[in-house]
Amino acid sequence: MNVIVHRVAEFLKRFPPFSFLSKEVLEKVAASVEIRYLEKGEVLFRQGQAAETHFYILKEGAIILTESIQNQEEIRDECDEGDVFGVLALLGRRPYVLSAKVQENSLVYAIPVSVFEEVLEQNSRVALYFAAGFASGQVVVRQDLSEGQKARGAFKNQSRDHSLMIFSDQSEIKFSEKVLTCSPELSIQQAAALMAEKQVSSIVVCREDLLPLGIITDKDLRSKVVAKGIPLDTVTAQVMSTPVLTRRKDASFSDLYLTMIKNRLHHLILTEDGTSQSAVSGIISDHDVLLSMGNSPAVLIHGLMNTLDLKEMRLIRDQAEQMLRYYLENELTMDFVASVMTEVNDIIIKQALRIAENSLADEDKVLRDIPFCFLSLGSEGREEQLLRTDQDNALVYEDVPEALAEEAQAYFLKLGTAMVEVLLACGFASCPGDIMASNPKWVQPMSKWKGYFSEWIIRPTEEAILSATIFFDFRPIAGNLGLGETLSLHIYEEIQNKKIFLNFLAKNALMNPPPLGFFKDFVVEKSGEHKNEFDIKSRAMMPLADLARLLVLSHGVIGVNNTFKRFDRLAELEPNYESLFKQAAKAYEILMRTRALEGLQNQSSGRFIQPKSIGKLERQLLKNTFSPITELQSMVKIRFQLDYFQQ
Amino acid sequence: MSWRTIFGKNVKKADFVEAFLLKNEKQIPAIRSLDQLEFTVFDTETTGLSIKDDYILSFGAVKIRNQAIQIETALELYPNSPNSGEKTAPIHGLIQRENQLSIRQFAEQSLAYFGSSILVAHHIGFDAEMMQKACKPFGLERLTNPMLDTMNLAIRLELGPHTDRSQVHPEDYGLDALCKRYQILAEDRHTASGDAFLTAQLLLKLLKLAAAKGIRNFGQLIR
Repeated sequence: MNVIVHRVAEFLKRFPPFSFLSKEVLEKVAASVEIRYLEKGEVLFRQGQAAETHFYILKEGAIILTESIQNQEEIRDECDEGDVFGVLALLGRRPYVLSAKVQENSLVYAIPVSVFEEVLEQNSRVALYFAAGFASGQVVVRQDLSEGQKARGAFKNQSRDHSLMIFSDQSEIKFSEKVLTCSPELSIQQAAALMAEKQVSSIVVCREDLLPLGIITDKDLRSKVVAKGIPLDTVTAQVMSTPVLTRRKDASFSDLYLTMIKNRLHHLILTEDGTSQSAVSGIISDHDVLLSMGNSPAVLIHGLMNTLDLKEMRLIRDQAEQMLRYYLENELTMDFVASVMTEVNDIIIKQALRIAENSLADEDKVLRDIPFCFLSLGSEGREEQLLRTDQDNALVYEDVPEALAEEAQAYFLKLGTAMVEVLLACGFASCPGDIMASNPKWVQPMSKWKGYFSEWIIRPTEEAILSATIFFDFRPIAGNLGLGETLSLHIYEEIQNKKIFLNFLAKNALMNPPPLGFFKDFVVEKSGEHKNEFDIKSRAMMPLADLARLLVLSHGVIGVNNTFKRFDRLAELEPNYESLFKQAAKAYEILMRTRALEGLQNQSSGRFIQPKSIGKLERQLLKNTFSPITELQSMVKIRFQLDYFQQ
Repeated sequence: MSWRTIFGKNVKKADFVEAFLLKNEKQIPAIRSLDQLEFTVFDTETTGLSIKDDYILSFGAVKIRNQAIQIETALELYPNSPNSGEKTAPIHGLIQRENQLSIRQFAEQSLAYFGSSILVAHHIGFDAEMMQKACKPFGLERLTNPMLDTMNLAIRLELGPHTDRSQVHPEDYGLDALCKRYQILAEDRHTASGDAFLTAQLLLKLLKLAAAKGIRNFGQLIR
């Protein structure tokens, strides 16, 4: 064993739950550790913050877990050597309920959740250890005593479980007391009508005396009714999820929260005495929990606008990701989801500009007064960047007199570099092709930019077309937005004069045919790191984005960047093809959702999907997205006469 | 194509050396913040202290990213002695290992591992020279990465940047003394990996100290 890994393993194995691991598993866990050093006063994680991808064991030092209640900080627990904490990350990736503050300079070992989840599944003693943590000490889950007792027996000599206590009881949570109920004899259609009328996502099926029998949610209507095609006059009793889990209305927040996490519930029914043998008195949803954690777009955006602290900004962006997950799982419209995330990203960019300008406050005022504009390209340019995949951006500034040219270039390169560094610190990955405002090639005055675009349009080499697919989706974000518009106008004029450019673009849009194995499985990568995975980006999303760009450009439409909005616009412009364009827009939304969920699940870019890992329904849904691609591609082929267009 | 002369012979740069140099061409922006930097903390164990006559017995390293030691990057390499086949005396308790690498493999793997990260070691001058010597036969003139010496960094942070070095007691800034002062348990001392791990822990602590003294970015750290 590597000396370093061995050293880490030697420490871990002294403490539960690591002491239960076999040598091989311990080595694997030790080899995945990240060691961080924190100084007194630092905060490792904050209450309400999205769970990180690690949980922690304290190597040396002291850390306190605190809860803030109405601006009062109360200490909930103190950790010392060997204590395990922050395990919420391990169980459902929900926000932290306590903050971890460094009391004395501390060395902390961070253990990736992904590595440990496997251990949790395979090793029942370890699983029990964590379950015990939840069932003892301050947080008593009343109904689950048996589990706790069992575990306590198994760990009689271990009194360390208390360090897992990261939940508290006093948090306020708002839930709805008006519960929509119906009788078990009601038809599902009527039940759905009631839900639609009240605009709620669930209905509790009750006896006449309000004892809960079951629950029907939006998801049930989708997966149990529509997907299965059962008759709409089926009674609710046959569709409802039953038996129901219930809790007392005045149960502690952590109790409610844990019940939902452990059972993966989106809705939890509250009753008078906490059992299903008493009347329904309220219902609490995922959404309520999320709101009580401060995870609403308004809260996040407000938070972002009021900070120039990089760590803080990163935290808020992480939190936004959590909100994203909730949105995606609950099938909010992609239009809404994409606008919220774009808004968050845009504000980060605007704050990045403020930070960069502050850092250059000593530069010559003449330089600082030159109008400029920061452009987002690629997916962020199209308002489609949900995950923090590569940043693509550039900077344009107004033409300056010859004498000032060199200084201006140097100044704006500094500005662009500073902004890119802020974005990196906020978690946006670096662009592998170096298309960023820190690359001198992409920090240029207006005349040079016009020249770039003209060149691409007039001499559409393969490389030029590749640039076109990235740069033509630019969107001005910060600085003088008028410069962006000037550039747009220039591009459209050039294209009007050189229509043949569109044929080249069209040819490129057909380069990636959708998967052929339409009735069988997906087409997957044949070799390399992603063998047997489906490349959703280049196989499905890029072709659609390319088609949408080409077609709106051919109509001379300015200012619609978003791929699905482009298709919506095309549907208006070409009523003949309305249904095809609508389908394409829908397809793109589904692809975005699938990719983002995949990425959130695996902490990746979500680009490569394992066909086996997704459900049958999703697979079918994905396959359906291919048909508009094929149809659009053959339409483009005819429209741009690509059969006669050989170049 | 670049050629150079050693011992009167022209040495063509090996492909992996070209790739390594290319990676290091792009400079790290001076304003990049400390937590965005990648450090490779390494140590070599050698047959002695003469750069000319001695050679590397073992190489241990680990990386720091996001201001955290990434244990999964821990690497140990055991290069063959240049005149292998001869008797290799057990020095520092080291005896012949099974997984020994040819010098070429060693050079290729260590350079690929270094990439364009910032190289860190205690007394880095010596370790860097030894590495350069090992890579020389494959056309590497010198390691082009930014470098950081934990001893110099500790002196700079504790005594200020303008300290008169003649007044500094070197024994106060040895790895043992620093580990003691920064409360790092000196385990596995005198193995390349062990020393690299201790140096990495020392660097984590020094970086926090640096930040407290206003050193926030690459430009301020590497001067």
